[in-house]
Amino acid sequence: MSEPQNTDTLSSSAHTLQSTAMQPTADYIQSVLGGDLLEVVEYRNEVTFVVQPNRILEICLALRDNPALQYSLLEDVTAVDWPDRTPRFDIIYHAASLSKRLFLRLKTRIDIDGADDAPHISSVTSVWPSANWFEREVFDLFGVVFDGHPELKRILMPNDWDGHPLRKDYPLTGIVLPAPHWGGQITYGEPLPQGEGQLTLRNEGGIANTPESEGE
Amino acid sequence: MQTDNTPFFQIDESVQVDDKTRIDTMTLNMGPQHPSTHGVLRLILTLNGETVVKAVPDIGYLHTGIEKTAESKTYYQTLVLTDRMDYLAPLSNNFGYTLAVEKLLGIQVPPKALFARIALVELQRIASHLVWLGSGALDLGAQSVFLYAFRERELILDIFEACSGVRMMTSYIMPGGLQADLPPNFEQKVREFIKIFPQRLREYHDLLTYNRLWIDRTKNICALSAEDAVALGLTGPALRASGVVYDVRKMFPYGGYEKFQFDIPVGENGDVYDRYLVRMLEMEQSLNIVQQAIDGMPEGAWVVDNPKIAPPPKWKISTNIESLIHHFKLYTEGYCPPAGEVYQRIEAPKGELGFYIVSDGSPNPYRMHVRGASFANLQSLPKMLEGQMLADIVAAIASIDIVLGEVDR
Repeated sequence: MSEPQNTDTLSSSAHTLQSTAMQPTADYIQSVLGGDLLEVVEYRNEVTFVVQPNRILEICLALRDNPALQYSLLEDVTAVDWPDRTPRFDIIYHAASLSKRLFLRLKTRIDIDGADDAPHISSVTSVWPSANWFEREVFDLFGVVFDGHPELKRILMPNDWDGHPLRKDYPLTGIVLPAPHWGGQITYGEPLPQGEGQLTLRNEGGIANTPESEGE
Repeated sequence: MQTDNTPFFQIDESVQVDDKTRIDTMTLNMGPQHPSTHGVLRLILTLNGETVVKAVPDIGYLHTGIEKTAESKTYYQTLVLTDRMDYLAPLSNNFGYTLAVEKLLGIQVPPKALFARIALVELQRIASHLVWLGSGALDLGAQSVFLYAFRERELILDIFEACSGVRMMTSYIMPGGLQADLPPNFEQKVREFIKIFPQRLREYHDLLTYNRLWIDRTKNICALSAEDAVALGLTGPALRASGVVYDVRKMFPYGGYEKFQFDIPVGENGDVYDRYLVRMLEMEQSLNIVQQAIDGMPEGAWVVDNPKIAPPPKWKISTNIESLIHHFKLYTEGYCPPAGEVYQRIEAPKGELGFYIVSDGSPNPYRMHVRGASFANLQSLPKMLEGQMLADIVAAIASIDIVLGEVDR
């Protein structure tokens, strides 16, 4: 049950948390964002703050610079794809305060932008430089574009890869792997020249996987 | 679509200093097949003479899509994938994943499992640090340390083999407890190791700590300030060497660490030598924790008595139809944690290892994300290398102790 602490002084929209350690953080985010703090979820002693995507840079900077909180370490940035939901992607930030022994999860929901067919969100690299690679990873695997990122390019997959593997509509198997030095990649959905899902080396004439054509 | 057209070797910049002199920088490719990159790390270096102007790590050569694969496996099957990330500390990975799943399920493990896990992951920390010590010293030319360090690591791997039957990819720690009871000779083997190891640790100190050559190669090399280290997301021994007291075991205790007494070694300068000392002292502390875990090891069950999560014992399966059904359901369907999301951070040998798991109530994780300690730590390498000598690059790579299996996942 929640602590009967100064609930009277809080405004009616403020969130009372079971974990008292996180209460100052919740109050502070509430005071900065007001109605843009959409939800506060407590689950297994972890507190998730769901905020509006256009305020993410502002709230990250505020959380880092507030002397009473000091969320100085960004632990992780990641994403979750919910293809059937209207804001399709969750972007998730885990941050820890080393001096106050606190950790939180910030979450925002963004959707694919019609202009360039990619979801957009502000980069937090200016707040935490460590976001650089985490955001590149999310860009690589989910196709989320982080505006203002200094060097947004693929990090784990090859540079000429098509598609974003961790999206739910990207198949686990069934694509032909690219032949990096001697041909191109066959994109998913395009008919294969011969056979299906054969992971064979290709020569210029087509797939060289039959015993007859293999003799060099 | 971007293409990385960086050639292997080129003179790419020429800066006019005055009328008569100009400085040429050279781009040099290091790796991915380079013995001191500890795997397949490629560094694209811009050099001014022998001084590093810029270093760009290029990773992804070992990317195996573990996060994508996990989405089609059950929770129990995913455990096996976690071994393959940081392959020098598989038990730590098992532990982190297991704690995340247990948090999601909301279960408590029996005390024996709790103590055994901590003894095992601390032995694993020593084993991982021994590989770091051996290979790091080898990179700087101290060949004999490698042989000594691997001699002691062998003793730890023998203990793991006695527990699980395999030396490296153990999958021994599983959601609910342990895969099997500890072997009868576990305590004796660990006590033997505890007896031997402090003497061996002194041998390493004799070989390196006051060695003039070692100090020359490591002191004031590739130092990183505390502010930079935190901003760049560095964690683990490398962060503590910069003077930041952040150890997940103390800061956010997990898995029973609040019951143990140990100290956190912290450095001052954040250079390669401090990172070396912090890890050497950490091994002593780990040994201390192992000692406490062995002394306090309770008797009893090693796995939860919940047939929905842990398979029932063999004798029950062959005598009891209900247990047979449980066994069948567990290995075909698996268990379904309630919908929700958890993030479990642990102090792995390399740094903070985080597992973020989203469950939608189905037997497969809807999304599993791994915050690899090596991935985050490698990010600080370019900052560390700025203005350093070419020959010190190998010292820096060794000092942050990366495993490329965890970087690329």
